[in-house]
Amino acid sequence: MEKPKHKLLSFAYFLESSKVYNKIKKFVYDLIENDEYKYKRYFDIFMIFVILSSVTLLVMDVKRHIPHWLDDFDLYFVTTIFVVEYLLRMWVYSDIHKIIIDEYEESSYFDKEVSYYSLFTNIAKNKWAYMVSFSAIIDLIAILPSYRGLRVLRVFVLFRAFKMLRYTKSLTGFLYVLKNKKFELMTLLTLSTFFIFIAGIMLYVFEGDNENPNIHNLFDAFYWALITISTVGYGDIAPVTPEGRIVTMLIIFTGIGLISFVTSIIVSSFNERLSVLREDRVVQEVGKKKKLTVVCGYGLLGRLVVKGLQKEGVEFVIIDRSEEMAAVAYNDGYHAICADATKGTIFEKLGIDDRISHVLCLTSDDIQNAFISVNVKSLNSEVYVTARCSDQEIATKMEYAHVDQVIMPEEVAGMMGAVYAGEPVAFEVLLSIIEEKEKTHINEIAIAEGSFLDNKMIGEVDFERLRLILLGVFKRSEESKLGEFIFNPSDEFVLNAGDNLVCIGYSTAVANLKRKM
Amino acid sequence: MQIQKDILLFGYGTFGRQLYKNLRSRGHKVKVVVGLDDYVEVESDSGVDITRINIKRNDDILALNVNAAESIFYCAMNKTANNLFLVLTLKSLYPQANVIANSNSNETTRKLKYAGATSVIDLYEATSRRIVNVLTKPAVSMALDEIVYKQNDLQMLEIELKENTFLEGKYVSEIKFRQMGIILIAIIDKELGYELVFTDHRINHKLDAGDILVIVAKKENISKFQEMLKKG
Repeated sequence: MEKPKHKLLSFAYFLESSKVYNKIKKFVYDLIENDEYKYKRYFDIFMIFVILSSVTLLVMDVKRHIPHWLDDFDLYFVTTIFVVEYLLRMWVYSDIHKIIIDEYEESSYFDKEVSYYSLFTNIAKNKWAYMVSFSAIIDLIAILPSYRGLRVLRVFVLFRAFKMLRYTKSLTGFLYVLKNKKFELMTLLTLSTFFIFIAGIMLYVFEGDNENPNIHNLFDAFYWALITISTVGYGDIAPVTPEGRIVTMLIIFTGIGLISFVTSIIVSSFNERLSVLREDRVVQEVGKKKKLTVVCGYGLLGRLVVKGLQKEGVEFVIIDRSEEMAAVAYNDGYHAICADATKGTIFEKLGIDDRISHVLCLTSDDIQNAFISVNVKSLNSEVYVTARCSDQEIATKMEYAHVDQVIMPEEVAGMMGAVYAGEPVAFEVLLSIIEEKEKTHINEIAIAEGSFLDNKMIGEVDFERLRLILLGVFKRSEESKLGEFIFNPSDEFVLNAGDNLVCIGYSTAVANLKRKM
Repeated sequence: MQIQKDILLFGYGTFGRQLYKNLRSRGHKVKVVVGLDDYVEVESDSGVDITRINIKRNDDILALNVNAAESIFYCAMNKTANNLFLVLTLKSLYPQANVIANSNSNETTRKLKYAGATSVIDLYEATSRRIVNVLTKPAVSMALDEIVYKQNDLQMLEIELKENTFLEGKYVSEIKFRQMGIILIAIIDKELGYELVFTDHRINHKLDAGDILVIVAKKENISKFQEMLKKG
């Protein structure tokens, strides 16, 4: 009794530690379940093609018989694919070997023998949970038509069309809505069933005994009740007695009420879902970007910053707590999400671990900004956080929380304003180069390896001819990417690849130099 | 070197306080004026000269007794509407007055300019550029920090040429500014009609008295340069 147990256990441990096995399982999981995986799309398209071909064959078969080989294609190829897919989904749903290991560890902890009975019921229970899930049932029914003995099973081919829901994400949103409003819809369904039941019986009682030639049995009466209450009203069965007509009038009113009720429930549910759907879409759209900047707060400053980022081609997404502001940003044509940036959820969704590179906290509330900064830094301290602040005391606290850049708009503007008092011309120059109002900007140029500036002395470069004023150079160093700023380097200063020149000049002059490089 | 001005600062909110601090550190004389019911947060020992008036009344403003030609007015009230109204009042009382107003958007800037503000400082424009620069042009951002924002050795300033300096009558290209540790960024040339010209254009200017040079340099080199200018 001892030996097979150990075999099972050692096999489970073997699977647990096998790199190849885990890699294959991960790949299969990604391919059929993981929406983020880039090759899943091809799998989805392939499955949709298989399903459509099967449905097409069903329709073609109605009028004329399809050739034998096509029938074989349907019978063997499509079925095999569906069966394999079904089994794979069941496989990746959970790890059996983990259940085995858990079971063994638990029993060894309590010094007990492992009971095969509980082990196998656990495994069966686990997989059964998958088999009774909605989509698994659909998958199973879609396999059934392959059994040619029963003609009626052919209709189940259409369940294969249902399977397509799996491969198109937008449709699952609708199912979600139905699921969300299950209680309301069930109540209405019960109510309408009740009405149909009562009205059908009443009509049968009034007109069933040969008064109405169209009503042969109770089924006809229920059929009439459903057609009437749904306001479809084919008219193939119509009441002929005054009593029957009174029943009709009553259930028409009820029917109108019920239908509008159902409509309003579904519409309101969609509205509730709308922001979530939009959020999902934005997350998906920005999900492909490798370096993402998150702008929190779409106020006056947020708008300006976003405009600048857009111009520079930085990938960003806006988060605002207020629904209204998020909508404004969205209508301005940006990726925007209405969410609470003081919570971790939204950042995790956007990929705080690998995708987000910068977070800008630009709300008008200092405490809110500090809150967001701490939130982000606690999730991933590598992310560069810029926070806006209007109070020196709060700025100190932010610095304590390792916020990378604390910026005070009032301080910056106050400094500029003070320059104006004594030096109006310098002020104008500042405005021009800082706010980029004129054509002359301040810009940086990295020296490329082997370019004509590599290993040159400053004196040898004719900046005047390049139409640039050289302010200084950031010499590349081992410790930091930029190194120290060397203002006005002397003529003997040697430039190397990786150094950054900071110049003032027309953007065309800068572009010209970059091109030469 | 810098001319000390008389300054009237309207409003003492977050921005107003920063402005006050910076103006004082540059040695200007600042008088703060606030509305009657404005809340002002002042440390008792800061020695800020604060007057409370009814901003809406012309008489109250006239009673401040300012020499409008020599002063600069800063409108730094918290509310845009108040600033706009103040600019209108000041310009109607003193048509020649030098009025600077703070704004929070392009929209407000347009209105303030129309109302007659000499210059408008956007609270967020420079900040937003700075934030964007950190992301896209880190070197520029750090260079600007060194030159403009940090209080350190490096400064940007303007120098008006007096009569009989050693620069008089010389061309810009003849003078080795860089060897003096000075970078000349822009010039206002009287002969060209007071237009600001950046020196990247390679237009060879002849320097005369009255021209204004905008330079960036270390403090020590600035004082050396000024000594040389004085010697003539």
